[in-house]
Amino acid sequence: MADAPVQPSFLRAVGALFARELRVELRTKSLLTSMGLFALLCIVIVGLGVRGITSNETYDRFVLAMLWVCTMFAAVVGLNRAAGSDRRKDFFGALLILPHDPGVVYFVRLVSTLAFLLLTQAIMIVVAVPLLKLDFFDQPLMLLIIPLADLGILAPGVLLSSSTSRVRGGEALLTIALLPVAVPVFAGATGATERLQGGGGFAGAQPYVLLLLVCGAMFTALGLLLYGRLNEG
Amino acid sequence: MGTETKSSNAWLVTTVLAALGLIGAQAVLYMSYYYTPVQISEGTLWVVTPDRGNPINLYESYRIFFIHLPAAYSTALCCGICLVGGVMWLLSKQPKWEALTVASAEVGLVTGAMVLLTGTLWADYAWGSGRIGSGWNWEPRLTTMLILWLAFAALLVLRRSMDTPRQRSAMTAVYGILLGPLYPLVSKAIEIGQTSHPRNFSDLLTAPEIAHTKNLASIALTLALMALVALRFQWNRLGQQIEQERAA
Repeated sequence: MADAPVQPSFLRAVGALFARELRVELRTKSLLTSMGLFALLCIVIVGLGVRGITSNETYDRFVLAMLWVCTMFAAVVGLNRAAGSDRRKDFFGALLILPHDPGVVYFVRLVSTLAFLLLTQAIMIVVAVPLLKLDFFDQPLMLLIIPLADLGILAPGVLLSSSTSRVRGGEALLTIALLPVAVPVFAGATGATERLQGGGGFAGAQPYVLLLLVCGAMFTALGLLLYGRLNEG
Repeated sequence: MGTETKSSNAWLVTTVLAALGLIGAQAVLYMSYYYTPVQISEGTLWVVTPDRGNPINLYESYRIFFIHLPAAYSTALCCGICLVGGVMWLLSKQPKWEALTVASAEVGLVTGAMVLLTGTLWADYAWGSGRIGSGWNWEPRLTTMLILWLAFAALLVLRRSMDTPRQRSAMTAVYGILLGPLYPLVSKAIEIGQTSHPRNFSDLLTAPEIAHTKNLASIALTLALMALVALRFQWNRLGQQIEQERAA
């Protein structure tokens, strides 16, 4: 008599899927190169655009806002690349035979994309500090705001890209779909950055940090609940 | 037989909502010109705009609120209906919930445009220079409303782009749910860095005649716009039936 198949534990499944994501990225370097190059090109374009700004205050505010714009679009590029690769490998067909809730796949994809985006931002900041005269290291609280904002952008992004990648012109569609939803996150990120730069400290940035926390938690919870339903059948 | 009864009930609801809304709208039109004050005395309809520093008299420009406010309430309702429709479709997979989500997004697009247009026109007068577009100052309330309007448009574009009916329904439901939290943000945006947009219209419209007209306008026009949601719902249901018959 054949033994009944043993279902792997949740943690083992997460570990296996996360290892798969890392292995694929280490082999192809597809996400890091596309997001990184895109972000660096954005910095060059921002640098050209801010040459004429003479006021220091305007310059500082503009550069920080533009870095958030670069982050947003780098995230969109990464999400499109990852979801496009899944479509080509019939990843969503394989979801049907997954012995766990599809939310596991969402969770792993979110964590891995977040890790790659954070790495891209680290490169972006290292380049932007000397080139754009960015005072990033004066604001250690940015180390809290950046991952929170990234989570808020990627949580709905991973959810929506799984569906938009399967249709013609899906890359443009993801941008159209994601930007309105991610606006609260963008407002929180730019608001917190502005307050920190204005010398308001954590107390000044607190309402925006709270907004980022609420958005991150809400979108992640919605993603975990809805990912399977969006991609079934 | 059952389907026919349900359909006629839905048409009855639509007709009653539309009739009540339109009768109310006529009354609002009458009241706004013959009941509310024309000569505004100092102190009743003055608003201080920090941009200008000096109080300005609203004169008769306040009448635009009789459209602006109900349109804003209807947009909020449409946002809520999108959320409910999305959740209900995911739970039941019944096509009627998809039709409702789409109908509310379509009407939300119209009411959102009404809010933005009437708001911008009044802002040009209240804190702008009088030139078209001069009142648009990218404040959080204005910007979040514009984003909500774009989100309604994004939902309609997204669903049209899906290849299969199944994907279309799922995307409509999921995006309807994601759209839901945007209205609380529009509502709360007044507390973040707001300088020009009034925090509470009741503070401005203190004359009792204006308050009565505003309340009636809010009820009547919201009913009329909800009749529009019901009408689009019927239309979308017919579309779904035709699609099913073609597929069969």
